[in-house]
Amino acid sequence: MPHRHILLIDDEDDIREVASISLEAVGEWRVSAASGGRDGIAQAIAGQPEVILCDVMMPGIDGPATVGLLKDDPRTAGIPVILLTARVQSTDHLGFDLLDVIGVIPKPFDPMALSGQVEALFEAAQESGTTS
Amino acid sequence: MSDASTAIEAVLEKRRGQLASRVATVEEAVTALVSGDLDEELRADAERDAHKLAGSLGMFGLPRGSELAAELERALGLMGGPNALEAPRMAELVLDLQGQLRQKPVVEPAPAGCNPEVPSAPAVLFASPDPDLTDRLTVAALGSDLRPRTAVTCTGARRMIESELPDAAVLDINFAEAESESLDLLADLTGREPPVPVLVLTASEALVDRVEVARRGGSSFVQRTRPAAEVIDAVREQIERAGPSQAKILAVDDDPVILEAVGALLGPAGFEVISLEDPHRFWEQLTMAAPELLLLDLDMPQVSGLDLCRSVRADPQFAQLPIVFLSAYSDASNVEAMFEAGADDYVSKPIIGPELSMRVGNRLDRVRAYRDLAEKDHLTGIGSRRGSSAKLEDLLARADRLAQPFSLSRIDLDRFARFNQNLGEATGDSALRGLGDLLAQTFRGEDVVCRWGDDEFVVGAYGMTADDGVQRVAEVLERFRHERYGNRAGGAESLSFSAGVAEYPRDAHALQQLHLAAGVALDEAKTRGGDRVLPASAAAGAAPSQADIVVVDDDDLLAGVLIDSLHTRGYQTLRFRDGREAVDALSGVAPRVSPALILLDVDLPGLDGLSVLRQLAQDGVLDRTRVIMLTAHAGEAEIVESLELGAIDHVSKPFSVPVLIQRVRRALKR
Repeated sequence: MPHRHILLIDDEDDIREVASISLEAVGEWRVSAASGGRDGIAQAIAGQPEVILCDVMMPGIDGPATVGLLKDDPRTAGIPVILLTARVQSTDHLGFDLLDVIGVIPKPFDPMALSGQVEALFEAAQESGTTS
Repeated sequence: MSDASTAIEAVLEKRRGQLASRVATVEEAVTALVSGDLDEELRADAERDAHKLAGSLGMFGLPRGSELAAELERALGLMGGPNALEAPRMAELVLDLQGQLRQKPVVEPAPAGCNPEVPSAPAVLFASPDPDLTDRLTVAALGSDLRPRTAVTCTGARRMIESELPDAAVLDINFAEAESESLDLLADLTGREPPVPVLVLTASEALVDRVEVARRGGSSFVQRTRPAAEVIDAVREQIERAGPSQAKILAVDDDPVILEAVGALLGPAGFEVISLEDPHRFWEQLTMAAPELLLLDLDMPQVSGLDLCRSVRADPQFAQLPIVFLSAYSDASNVEAMFEAGADDYVSKPIIGPELSMRVGNRLDRVRAYRDLAEKDHLTGIGSRRGSSAKLEDLLARADRLAQPFSLSRIDLDRFARFNQNLGEATGDSALRGLGDLLAQTFRGEDVVCRWGDDEFVVGAYGMTADDGVQRVAEVLERFRHERYGNRAGGAESLSFSAGVAEYPRDAHALQQLHLAAGVALDEAKTRGGDRVLPASAAAGAAPSQADIVVVDDDDLLAGVLIDSLHTRGYQTLRFRDGREAVDALSGVAPRVSPALILLDVDLPGLDGLSVLRQLAQDGVLDRTRVIMLTAHAGEAEIVESLELGAIDHVSKPFSVPVLIQRVRRALKR
């Protein structure tokens, strides 16, 4: 089985670093990382990852805006997106329901479980056919 | 799993300062709130930093820290700003948070079965049109913990690469009808950052243009007929060479528990730990393992770590070996004693988390940086003799193992002392730098290019025959002799060099003997007037008055250029302007010259080229000598006739010198 490719978009260095370690070492993903929405969209177009993990609160183009742009572009519209958020209000999830994402993973995430969470969401989405 | 935890702990260590400064911002805001002067800018900063802490601390194994930070974020973000009445509780939260940050993180492995861990075996792409070959390689790869991927077409290989970039590739360059496509594929792989190591399978010596392959970054050749296991070994070696090197560490401690802990801490951080419990076997282990770093226990019952340390420092072979002490006593007198004995660093017991691997890593980084300095020649920036000898031995050993050629070139400047005298040593230095640059540019990245001594350079190239080596060095010479090096006084001169090239295994087997053989060729090149490159084979069988190649052409300019290029490549030449003159010298009962090759112009005074050829054929000269016709306006009939008469090739004028040289090489090989 080849390494599946995941794109990680987060403005914080330490989150990118830990999530990369976690996804690579625990989950055997091939990880590329972007530090902002704009860079993330460019990398998504160029790299065509299997799935994108995107932070919500970022300076510039934030997570929801990034998701919107990804979904508007035919080259990236089919790539499933998972949001990563440290929002404390649980009601915030409601807003995300309107976005075309396959799931939300709360921050702080457990580095040992992150790849399992991503995999579960990814597989569930594939089964329900939302990504095809 | 512990790999990931260690790595994450290391990230935490690296980020501790940043995390602490975020807590400090929150603390500042809370302090301001208590004294009633919290402004909006600071509040917003603090809220953002609390948010970041909430989002990251748990990930580092500090879940309580995340909770506290989330609480603070909520309080700081309340509508209309935080309530001053909340200030005391917030201050408590900050204190608690600071305490959390000093905690040792708990990064627990996830419960079994939650994330099945797949061993991360390196992926290897086998691309060959021969499915039997890929099958054999696949089976061998599976038995060797590699993840094989196969492709029988170039297109298939590209698809594979797109879906997953392999850690290494084995490429059969003889894709039917698609050699250029497979060469492009090769260039694509070796052009990646970092480059994917590629092993090129060759059917036979003749079918692969090594120069073409080398130009596209290919470096290693293996014959297709070698056993699959051998190919896989070569692949593994390539992957290991490409990856970060694992530093070997010798750990000496009488306490097996400590040794085990050291192994557990350093292993996942990428070090190879060799444990030694019995200090009496220390020297035996040290010489056998040749570690890059020594970890010594200070307090061992029979032999003290200090004594071992002193003895290591006294041995010239190991005087530079980095030594780190493990000690339960870090009081001033003990620390002083350790450093006095020659320690580089120490780590206190009990060993806590990443401290050991970080100190060991730092120490090795520094040593490697110094070694890099020592291995580089200060003047030219290419390798020094000291730094390159071992690398040359490595390449030679590899050539031996994989039954590949290896060439060693020795290059020495002509009349350099006089140049220095005329223009000054500073100008001489810049000429040396110039030549170093040219060599480094012309040879491949994995070739060893070094300055051997004053004005002598040595190049070792794996997979390159002496003949290929001579061509490369000759290219350098042709560029170098056109450079002019000047001093401030306005004087400027150009320089040339002489070179000898020896080949493993043809000329010699050991490095020293190759060096000698190349030296003999170098001396011969100097004897013949310098400014040329000679293969060791030519020097060995040299009959000085004999010409290898006779040029029969009345065009002075063209013959001059041609003879120059031939001399540069170490060929001895003789030239005739006139057809009659040439026949007289070349044929007859006792010919004056008996060359291996004649380059014969068609339009000649005296006797035209075709008549010369006819005469030579008649006299039986063509039995021992090959002829290439140089034709200017020759029609097809003339060319056909010359080939029928026994010329082996023809080149039409105007020709480019590299093309003609290529034909000459081919003709001489036949």
